[in-house]
Amino acid sequence: MNPILDAHVLQTRRQLLGRSASALGAAALGTLLHEDTARGDSTANGGLPDLPHHFPKAKRVIYLLHNGAPSHVDLYDHKPRILEWHGKQIPDEVQGGRRLSTMTSGQTARPVLKPLAPLRPHGESGAWVSDLLPHTAAIVDDLCFIKSMHTDQVNHAPAITHFMTGFQRPGRPSMGAWLTYGLGSDTQELPGFVVMTSRDKEATCGQIFYDYYWGNGFLPSKYQGVKFRGVGDPVLYLSNPQGMSRAVRRGLLDDLARLNEIKLNEFGDPEIATRIAQYEMAYRMQASVPDLTDFSNEPQHILDMYGPDVTRTGSYAYNCLMARRLAERGVRFVQLMHAGWDQHRNLTTQLAIQCQDTDAPSAALVTDLKQRGLLDDTLIIWGGEFGRTPFLQGKIEDRARWGRDHHPYAFTIWMAGGGVQPGLTYGSSDDFAHNVAENPVSAHDLQATILHLLGIDHERLTYRFQGRHYRLTDIAGNVVGPVLA
Amino acid sequence: MPICKDRQAIETSAADVSPRFPSPSVPCLMRSLLPTLLTLWFAGDWVAAAEVDFSRDIRPILSDTCFRCHGPDADTREAELRFDTREGLEAARAAGLFDKDVAGNVAAQSEFLRRISSSDDDERMPPPDADPQLTPRQIERISQWIAAGAKGGEHWAYVAPVRPARPAVSDPQWPRNAIDAFILARLDAEGLTPSAPAERPRLLRRVTLDLTGVPPTIAEIDAFVADVSPDAYERAVERLLASPHYGERMAWEWLDAARYADTSGFQGDPERTMWPWRDWLIDALNAGMPFDAFTIEQLAGDLLPNATRSQRVATGFCRNNMHNGEGGRIPEETRVENVFDRTETMGAIWLGTTLTCARCHDHKYDPFTQREYYQLFAFFNNTSEEGGSFRGGRIPPVMPLPTEEQSAELESLKESLAAVAADLEKWEQEQLAKIDGAKKGDASGDDAAEKAADGSPGSDSSASPEKETVTGVPDKVCEALAAAISERTDDHLQLLIDHFTEKQPSYVEQLKAFQETRERRKKIWGQVVETMVMDERDDVRETFILQRGTYNKPDEKVVAAVPARLPQLPPDRPVNRLSFAQWLVDPAHPLTARVTMNREWQRFFGTGFVRTAEDFGSQGDKPTHPQLLDWLATELVRSGWDMKHLHRLIVTSATYRQSSRVSPELQEHDPKNQWLARGPRYRMASWMLRDQALALGGLMNDTQRGPSVKPYQPVGIWAEATFGKKTYQQDHGASLYRRSLYAYWRRIVGPTMFFDTAKRQTCEVNAIRTNTPMHALTTMNEIAFVEAARAMAQRVLAEGGTTDESRATYAFRLATARHPSSEEQRILTQRLGTLRTHYGADAEAASQLIQVGESPRDESLDPAEHAAFTGLCLMILNLDETLTKE
Repeated sequence: MNPILDAHVLQTRRQLLGRSASALGAAALGTLLHEDTARGDSTANGGLPDLPHHFPKAKRVIYLLHNGAPSHVDLYDHKPRILEWHGKQIPDEVQGGRRLSTMTSGQTARPVLKPLAPLRPHGESGAWVSDLLPHTAAIVDDLCFIKSMHTDQVNHAPAITHFMTGFQRPGRPSMGAWLTYGLGSDTQELPGFVVMTSRDKEATCGQIFYDYYWGNGFLPSKYQGVKFRGVGDPVLYLSNPQGMSRAVRRGLLDDLARLNEIKLNEFGDPEIATRIAQYEMAYRMQASVPDLTDFSNEPQHILDMYGPDVTRTGSYAYNCLMARRLAERGVRFVQLMHAGWDQHRNLTTQLAIQCQDTDAPSAALVTDLKQRGLLDDTLIIWGGEFGRTPFLQGKIEDRARWGRDHHPYAFTIWMAGGGVQPGLTYGSSDDFAHNVAENPVSAHDLQATILHLLGIDHERLTYRFQGRHYRLTDIAGNVVGPVLA
Repeated sequence: MPICKDRQAIETSAADVSPRFPSPSVPCLMRSLLPTLLTLWFAGDWVAAAEVDFSRDIRPILSDTCFRCHGPDADTREAELRFDTREGLEAARAAGLFDKDVAGNVAAQSEFLRRISSSDDDERMPPPDADPQLTPRQIERISQWIAAGAKGGEHWAYVAPVRPARPAVSDPQWPRNAIDAFILARLDAEGLTPSAPAERPRLLRRVTLDLTGVPPTIAEIDAFVADVSPDAYERAVERLLASPHYGERMAWEWLDAARYADTSGFQGDPERTMWPWRDWLIDALNAGMPFDAFTIEQLAGDLLPNATRSQRVATGFCRNNMHNGEGGRIPEETRVENVFDRTETMGAIWLGTTLTCARCHDHKYDPFTQREYYQLFAFFNNTSEEGGSFRGGRIPPVMPLPTEEQSAELESLKESLAAVAADLEKWEQEQLAKIDGAKKGDASGDDAAEKAADGSPGSDSSASPEKETVTGVPDKVCEALAAAISERTDDHLQLLIDHFTEKQPSYVEQLKAFQETRERRKKIWGQVVETMVMDERDDVRETFILQRGTYNKPDEKVVAAVPARLPQLPPDRPVNRLSFAQWLVDPAHPLTARVTMNREWQRFFGTGFVRTAEDFGSQGDKPTHPQLLDWLATELVRSGWDMKHLHRLIVTSATYRQSSRVSPELQEHDPKNQWLARGPRYRMASWMLRDQALALGGLMNDTQRGPSVKPYQPVGIWAEATFGKKTYQQDHGASLYRRSLYAYWRRIVGPTMFFDTAKRQTCEVNAIRTNTPMHALTTMNEIAFVEAARAMAQRVLAEGGTTDESRATYAFRLATARHPSSEEQRILTQRLGTLRTHYGADAEAASQLIQVGESPRDESLDPAEHAAFTGLCLMILNLDETLTKE
């Protein structure tokens, strides 16, 4: 071997690994792992060098996506006129021949249906909340309601895809992918983008959680959301094989690193350094995920706050507590999806059950983060892919089978923490909670606002693919300025 | 050792870039751009700094910054100006946009240059709010181009390739074939020299993985190393090209591109049977089917004269798209989506063009209008496929594929059925002639018609409308008798049997025989595999431009045609899918051969000359080696589209045979290895990693073809994704060890052991390579890998001699093809010692580890010893060198 050449190789290797004291130091790990083979990144946590564009208010996002579409009419959007008109045909000038799903497009009678339970104003802000959501009602002053959401999608999958990826057809990167691509990850031991799913206990709705809801689209596949599973290993293949202890694994990984370093010395390919870091991070993840899912150190009063389901793996409550623990550990984007709101024919029974299952955990998540001082830089969004009709699906005399159809023209979401104004209600719908009356907010506007809170100009976070600069907000979106704190 | 001759020159010229056109923002812009400029500079622009090439240097700039308003889309075109076509540029030239003054001074006269460099926001182009803006460097380039006469017009990819002459090179000894001449010419220009050849064991491993998807055996390595004849490598290549595993290895990327899967996708994700198409693919690749026939059979095999069964199965390619048949879905919307998918898959694979945007509007950058999109769509719009949900995931048109035995038995049953029916007929005619209104029919039809009839008993088309009764015979029995024998339902037969049991026992015997024979046929038909294929309707389905791509918003009617910018269909041929497929492989076609060879290069070197394999348009990446790409494209056509010939050329080139060692100079000057001064080195695809592990463990089941298999998968993956509607039933025994390409692919949740893989939902032609900890977890912990390590350990104990050293060496050689260094050897044996101590003291752990996986183990082996070697082998399977093709 040529000694001069060797010295060169070694020098390159030192340059590669020399950014921290140890070859396997945390900074080097982060940098190496986020170094795409196709493009180099320069920031310490693997984000883009020109980000953030401005000072971020939020560092991370927890998106509580209520799949199936909760009824804004029953839960938040209080309208005296609806109470007055209960049972009467909704006026044509309100409904106005707008496109409906095939579920009610053939139904000529469209009687207005009042909320199943009363709504009341709460807190200093006086925000209206259904009696079905007592825990949410108790924290309204921490929440910012947007009552003028609208979308042009009337079916679940396209509407969810639109909210999560900015486009109704599958294949674009999801919000979490964009954010981890742009901002990198603050954790070396966990994925930067985690997805968890749950559904109602009765499994009344058959919607599938398609993996493109958390897909990387055309971004490198490492930005895909990692779905934590409700059964078995939370992360696939996390556990060592039977008969192989963590100590044995450690020994094998030490030698693996040694052998790979010999190879790196000889071959000089920086990919080998990446490989060393990749295996080290896998080892750490093997420890940090079990630690993450071990609730034994949670005080009883915290567990109680999330409700009785909190210890049931894969329940909404369990996932909410997990979301807090992920936020604490620096995970950038937690996408928590819960199905069961698609109440076409079972509003009478299912609405209350869904509220009971999700109310306390959602409110607990906000309160818990607040108590820990994490709410300031954690943005929580609660919302569905659309709302539900203020008029009845079904027959007014058949109360047991009352339902509401999909309704994209006006609905309510709430946000909390991360730089949004607490106690604010923004935008409104008309007297029948049917159409937006003022300050409409689209999915793209919401996405632009979320990105803004994380320090990103949504028009400047782009990725060139197939000759076009794509962005989360497609060709639209305006930051909703008034909701910013 | 590669060196860079002209570094000084590069740095000087890069530093010389100075803003020529004053603009307030320029100095600051320059500062921020300088690093980028340096990179770009180094990426190759400087080579041709003296001469400006329109295709390479100018058109991409115009495309980026001007085409949105002055490009192909007529709806957004401003001022009647377009710069994307030769005609458009000529018109601009005629209008004086590119004029120079007498002294050749560009800035003084050219309106174009004045506008792009104006400091007046109202005048400057692109307008201030446009993104991206022109950089000073780009303005400089344009100025040079105008000064040189503003020549050029067409985008390179739309002009048919002309076979370039072999370039002169600095070292005529180095090239082994034409490929190397082009590569070396470029290296010469870059001031780089090629790397030494790879060591022989490494080279054999590289080429064996590349051509068969598995590593070489130790016997193969030893034989190759010992073979001193000058053509030893060439003969090894021939052996690999002739291997039946060649077709299996080459199939994978095509399966990704063809979005092949075992289910339809979407809600319910119903199962389909497309593996006959997958088998067709493997056979075609192994047989060396020329790429033109390969194209024609898959796109239009059904339309070939006297199409064979195999040619019709090939058209399954067109049916591999997802299909949304969920309840409440409008069928026509699904049907139109499917035709979109077919059109766009064709576009990505053959035209290297992403057509999707032209669904809704004229392409912004490439010469494809929305009208032309729907004209292409029209070629695929004429199958009998409908959009609804049919018999689960098998959506007509389908083709039954009886085996030879099934065919023979069906034929004999058909005969016996006809004979019994004739006897019945005769009896009924004689005995029951008195019954009025009875109508008789005939058995008939080809296989498909028969199957349809058998599959849907209960046809009432021939039931007699008349209700006249005969004494002693109930209405219903009359009705049954009135039905033609071949069309009688099971109820009819039962009714007749019941009614006549007492009165006419011999007749009833015949009825029963008829019933049984029919049942038997039905049963066999039920076992016959049906696969989805293409067909063509006689009455041509009308095609309309769809507003914003919406299925129910038809605009103008269009007929099938190819885009105006490309060569046209021969006038004497019918305008149909077959002519279209033939057009794609016409030697004069500018795209097909180039796009294809680019993908093939990507297969061996990790990236193509054009990095955007799916986009050869204005916005795609420029080719790193345009001349080599053209040479390979013309060679493909010249050789009669002989893909094995091209693969042979690639792997026998000196370029391919180089060592992949990355010297510090190369790391600095060409970190991405785009100029190929070294051999390819990158992590293998995850499917190949699994196959490699199976091969190293000696577990690989070499059975080819047939229905997909279900390897290990963690419990609950399907159930969780489908709310319990689908449960994964893992296979047992030999099926667990079939190659990865036979693994069952559920579209909404693909096999979990593969990472960085295409999703098989839409066409994907780009290689994906990222690194996440989850990948490491897979190869460290997935059952197949641990079991492979366990089986490999058993092999090592049996075949690797008797000492720790010889066994560790054997294991290391199995995986990497080379001998470990003494330091590596030391680490391995020390670790072995540690593991032996550990498992010797923990019998329970040892016994658990050696029980991973379902393959039987040699029970005579000492458990602790076996476990220790299993741990060692698992580590070796995870070495960077093992995971990497180098």
